[in-house]
Amino acid sequence: MNKKAGPMFYVFLVVFVFVVMFPFLWMLASSIKPLTELFGEKAFNPFTNNPTLQNYVSVFVDYPFPRYLWNSTVVATITTVYTVLVASFAAYSIARLNFKGKPIILGIVLSVSMFPQVATISPIYIFLKNLGLTNSYLGLIIPYTTITLPLSIWLLVTFFRKIPFDLEEAAKIDGASLWQTYWKVIMPLAVPGIFTTAILVFIAAWNEFLFALTINTADKFKTVPVGIALFQGQYTIPWGEISAATVVVTVPLVIMVLIFQRRIVSGLTSGSVKE
Amino acid sequence: MQTDIDPKEPIKVEKQPKKKKKNDAVVGYLLLAPALILILAISIWPVFQSFYFSLFDLRLNEPTKSEVHLDYQIDLDRYLQNYPFLVGAINSEIDNGNSSEELTEMKTTLENLDASIKENPQAAENYDVINEKLDKFENIPDDMKYVEIDESVADDFTSSVKAINNDLMTINENGSLEKGDKIVGLSSALTEIVVEPNFIGFEHYKDNLTDQRMWKSLWNTTVFTFISVLAELILGLAIALLINKAFLGRGLIRASILIPWAIPTAVAALMWKFLYDGQNGIVAKLFEDVGLIDRMAMLLTTDTGAMFSVIFADVWKTTPYMALLLLAGLQTIPSSLYEAASIDGANKWKQFVTITLPLLKTSLLVALLFRTLDAFRVFDLIYVLTGGGPANSTETISMLAYTLMFTQTNFGEGSAISVVVFICVAIISGIFIKLLGAELINDGTGKK
Repeated sequence: MNKKAGPMFYVFLVVFVFVVMFPFLWMLASSIKPLTELFGEKAFNPFTNNPTLQNYVSVFVDYPFPRYLWNSTVVATITTVYTVLVASFAAYSIARLNFKGKPIILGIVLSVSMFPQVATISPIYIFLKNLGLTNSYLGLIIPYTTITLPLSIWLLVTFFRKIPFDLEEAAKIDGASLWQTYWKVIMPLAVPGIFTTAILVFIAAWNEFLFALTINTADKFKTVPVGIALFQGQYTIPWGEISAATVVVTVPLVIMVLIFQRRIVSGLTSGSVKE
Repeated sequence: MQTDIDPKEPIKVEKQPKKKKKNDAVVGYLLLAPALILILAISIWPVFQSFYFSLFDLRLNEPTKSEVHLDYQIDLDRYLQNYPFLVGAINSEIDNGNSSEELTEMKTTLENLDASIKENPQAAENYDVINEKLDKFENIPDDMKYVEIDESVADDFTSSVKAINNDLMTINENGSLEKGDKIVGLSSALTEIVVEPNFIGFEHYKDNLTDQRMWKSLWNTTVFTFISVLAELILGLAIALLINKAFLGRGLIRASILIPWAIPTAVAALMWKFLYDGQNGIVAKLFEDVGLIDRMAMLLTTDTGAMFSVIFADVWKTTPYMALLLLAGLQTIPSSLYEAASIDGANKWKQFVTITLPLLKTSLLVALLFRTLDAFRVFDLIYVLTGGGPANSTETISMLAYTLMFTQTNFGEGSAISVVVFICVAIISGIFIKLLGAELINDGTGKK
């Protein structure tokens, strides 16, 4: 940990960051190119002399892109709120209460998080189709439970365990009921963990592709990843618009990552590292 | 009371009276219930259902096979569009005195069959409704059309109608019927109204296990998983080791590491598709200039080129994540160990092999487990980047299941493939969990 970083190290860092960020930078550069410069010799110039916002205008005017953004926001938000709520009860129970069968339950949760989505898709699709829930928000929120619930329980259990047990003991001695202990003692302390979980669940729901692709096929209910992926027509690929849309989707993520990086890292690494 | 207590939390348990503990259990299960019910209903039950579906010839675009049915069914709509007209036609032939003896016998048989169908209360009920609707030229909904009947009735029906059909053909060939062709047509239509159960047992598995395409896609998945995870592990470990030190701008590095992880895979795949483009892709051009490929177009149009492209994009997207997990593991190793080792004269490599690797084992295996499973079920990256092509050379097992189910609407066979995916994933997790021991689940239990 105390090793000194030399100048070569910073050169390495700059190169590393450049390589990692290169695809985005290139998309950003391409998104402001006029159509003629996206093809041919000029396609390999990083900078254009005739910057234009035409691609951005087109994404928002010619494509139902705002609709996709709205759909993704609705689906990801509702999924996050409901999953984190349900998972926080379960995680509290596993992390703080004493009863038999906890390792088995945790084992089930972990195994379910390893399920390949493709193994559940045919029954879920047929079920939703029979209920008339394909092409609806609920049609995505329900199956997203498969992905997000085990993840949130797993993360929250780790966070809840870090809260000192003495606090609960003290609350019990003072005569607080279990419900009061949960809301007034544990919850305030668990807020950072819950927030971290919510960020990760939101990202998972926002990025999900397979269910979104198969269940919501109508343009009105498509989410951002599916919407952008299906920008490509049968014969032509509108690269200008795709780069613009990519930038529009990525910029908020970059901002979010910059603000919440510590939380995201703590969430990603919790449970995978023995402390 | 204190006999079988987890040794890790003795103090806590001692303090609790027995009643309290019982109360804890009730509340505990109650709090768990919603989550467990959801997991059971939306994750575990569908896996069993997938297996069940895989035993049927289930095709969503064919009305007779769009649902699983173990019973024989009769298509009343089709029956009623033929049966009354057949009897009517036979009657008029009898009236005209053509082969009346044989025809009367047939008519009786048909009427008996009709009566036996009507013995089924459900059939009798729908019978009249459908007749009414047909008179008004209305469409008959599927759930009304198909009525379950006993196997014996179905067998009886099929064999009798086939016999009648044959007899009618013979009579017609002798030229003794006025509207012979019409009658034969109507009677042969009747032979097709029984819908057999679409249960086929393990047929799909048998077909798939002997199918080149299935093995090819399984092989593609394995190649993709093995190479990409190995590359990610090596690169990720190298990066983690390099940045495991104090330096300026850690936050910036961490953020730039997280960005590839955070963007939707589909969007990342699309970006790479642009960069790999055979005419305008900058990465394709760079690879060509470096001499990695002969022509720019080779990346996405040749078998190895496409596989390489997919793996390269995956490595770009997930190496940072791997590095992050391993970095977290590295940071838990106390630096005093390294100090002691260097005093003892151990060189860097020796320190790495004797300190870093053994202490990093758990983090390493957990990161490998998650990445391997993720890579094995890869779908969106390939769907968007290559679509499984060229010529199925990057078609993974998840892609194959998707194609069978949603492009060919063959849900039975697709479900069989998804069961295969599930079994593979179970085997992979089993191996890793065996290596990890119970550490994964017990991690943190009873810790403060």
